[in-house]
Amino acid sequence: MARHGQTTIRLRPPRHGVAPRARRWWTVQAWLTVTGPLLLTAVTLLVLSLLFFPGALPWLGPLLLGVLVLPAAGYVLAMPRLRCRIHAWEVGGSAVYAAGGWLLHKRRIAPLSRVQTVDTVRGPLQRAFGLATVTVTTASTAGDVRITGVSDEDAERIAARITEAARLAPGEGDAA
Amino acid sequence: MSGLPAGGLRTSEQPWRTLDPRTIAVHCTWMGAPLGSLALTALATGGRLDARAWITLAVIGAVFAAVTTAGVVTWRRTRYRVTADAIELRTGLFTRSVRAIPLHRVRNVDITANLVQRLLGLAVLRAGTGGGGRGGELSLDALARPEAVRLRAELLARAGAGSTGDPVLATADLRRLRYAPLTFWVVGGVFAAAGAVWRVLDGIGVQPWRIGFVRRAFEDFGHSALWLTIPLALLAVTALGCVGAVALYAENWWNYRLEWTDAATLRVRHGLFTTRSVSIERARLRGVALREPLLLRAGGGASVRAVAGGLGDREANRRRSLVLPPASRGEALRVCDGVLGEPFDPAGLTAHPRAALRRRAVRAFAWCVLPPAVVLAVLGALLTPVLLYCAAGWLVLAAPVAYGLARDAYRGLGHGLRGRFLLVRSGTFGRETVALDRSAVLAWTFTDTPFSRRAGLVTATAAVAAGEDGYRIRDMNAGTAAAFAESATPGMLAEFLEHGEQQPPIKGFVRSS
Repeated sequence: MARHGQTTIRLRPPRHGVAPRARRWWTVQAWLTVTGPLLLTAVTLLVLSLLFFPGALPWLGPLLLGVLVLPAAGYVLAMPRLRCRIHAWEVGGSAVYAAGGWLLHKRRIAPLSRVQTVDTVRGPLQRAFGLATVTVTTASTAGDVRITGVSDEDAERIAARITEAARLAPGEGDAA
Repeated sequence: MSGLPAGGLRTSEQPWRTLDPRTIAVHCTWMGAPLGSLALTALATGGRLDARAWITLAVIGAVFAAVTTAGVVTWRRTRYRVTADAIELRTGLFTRSVRAIPLHRVRNVDITANLVQRLLGLAVLRAGTGGGGRGGELSLDALARPEAVRLRAELLARAGAGSTGDPVLATADLRRLRYAPLTFWVVGGVFAAAGAVWRVLDGIGVQPWRIGFVRRAFEDFGHSALWLTIPLALLAVTALGCVGAVALYAENWWNYRLEWTDAATLRVRHGLFTTRSVSIERARLRGVALREPLLLRAGGGASVRAVAGGLGDREANRRRSLVLPPASRGEALRVCDGVLGEPFDPAGLTAHPRAALRRRAVRAFAWCVLPPAVVLAVLGALLTPVLLYCAAGWLVLAAPVAYGLARDAYRGLGHGLRGRFLLVRSGTFGRETVALDRSAVLAWTFTDTPFSRRAGLVTATAAVAAGEDGYRIRDMNAGTAAAFAESATPGMLAEFLEHGEQQPPIKGFVRSS
């Protein structure tokens, strides 16, 4: 089935990437949700071990390094970088297209005629970075398109474009 | 369906007809209970009836006379006829009323009979316009059964139902009971029942293991020849489970009936003690799912679920969307055809790349075969070599089973386009073949992981506002997935597609086959 050299039809990545600030946002997010707590746990255990069970250090040290410290460091280094590379969006003439994820890649396309609502969400952290998440909902929970890490201005433009296009698109009764 | 009866010409001069006179007898069945209790009293007192009993008897007699008179009068005054363009029913003692339903508006014609009517050979015929409410319905209570059947055929033939073929897709069938033991309830039901009994006992403060005979039974069991009693106990549990499953199935699917009540409504009705009825609008019907769990598939059976919206949340949808209980596969396919209104043809779907088989085999091995083997081996190395043999035995036994299941899962994978529908098949324990209305697909999602990317696979998800919301085509060829999605829903992906060289998959991970 491997058809080398044959022309095929592929889904190209969306045109627009996320805002450059998004990488810092994801880094802070990683520190707050995963890396910080993991490292804190490791330090706490290490200190407790130093104070009360010095004999446990020879095996506890490598264990903590392998189970807590390295994954935490790997996550904070890899996740924002990969997300910046993968996350992208595009509002085409008839459909909205978004890509996301870091290990698991997800690309989703929903026609504008099927759009029900457009939500723009800014969390406290996102607000600090001037970023927003645009969620385009359809009638199906498996059809909601999320565009994460775009700048405020972009988010507004996206929301306006999609709302306008959805209004103009020939409404399909069963979807709307 | 044959058209007009041999009797021929239906004009407005068509004579009025009466209902079946046996109807009057049906009206008297209410007397069964009081007469029965009276008879019991008479038996208990040895035939000596006191004043109260006599009064009761007199009241019953008076009411009987009144009811019978009313019944006779009602019967005499109730007339119906089928004219050239309507079915008319004339009723009423003092104020005469005539209800007429134009034949072209008749959408559904039901025949029902309760136990007494069935014994007397009667049936009630209901003709409805599907408009909802009593206003759109006319009921002939009751006709002789052959007459009811004939009239129903005549009405349907002349009605504007516009349906091709029989609107009734399936009805109750005792032979289907043989598929009941092939469901989860055979084993699960016994444990569920045991758990329920335990909780009840626990709730009223009884501790079963304190009861003498229970403890003695357990002790005897422990002392008996275990090689004989354990299989016997398992057999007994299975037999009990089978009986329970059949009983549950019978209660749930008694009086089952799946039909198009009109051109736009699919209705499924079933239940012995509790009658469940679910109506599904055609506009919200997005397809069907043919479900073949492992056991049922081995027995040549399948069940059918409608993929429909508006049936409540996910749980309610799962419960209510079942339109055919476990039945023979042929029958299930026939029901799928009837629900879709188009042939449902799951044969010859596009197979998925061999890499999908490898993924399944690796997954089965890594998650199910290896962990127990490793645990046994480690314990064996630490404690006793017997466990090492156990580990080896487990590997030898479990590996082929795991591979067989992986192979079955791989063979189950498939997708294709059939007319209006997109077909997706997957699963081994719960194999499901889903037909989705292509015009109902709201969005496409393509998901891949580092592993699937290396194997050149991608999972495509079609989002619909019905059923499980997202239906996944697992492990498709990454090179053709987008093109397939585009061909299933023309125009949806067009502007994001590009034509180019396919990236050669990384050597060693994808064999050409």
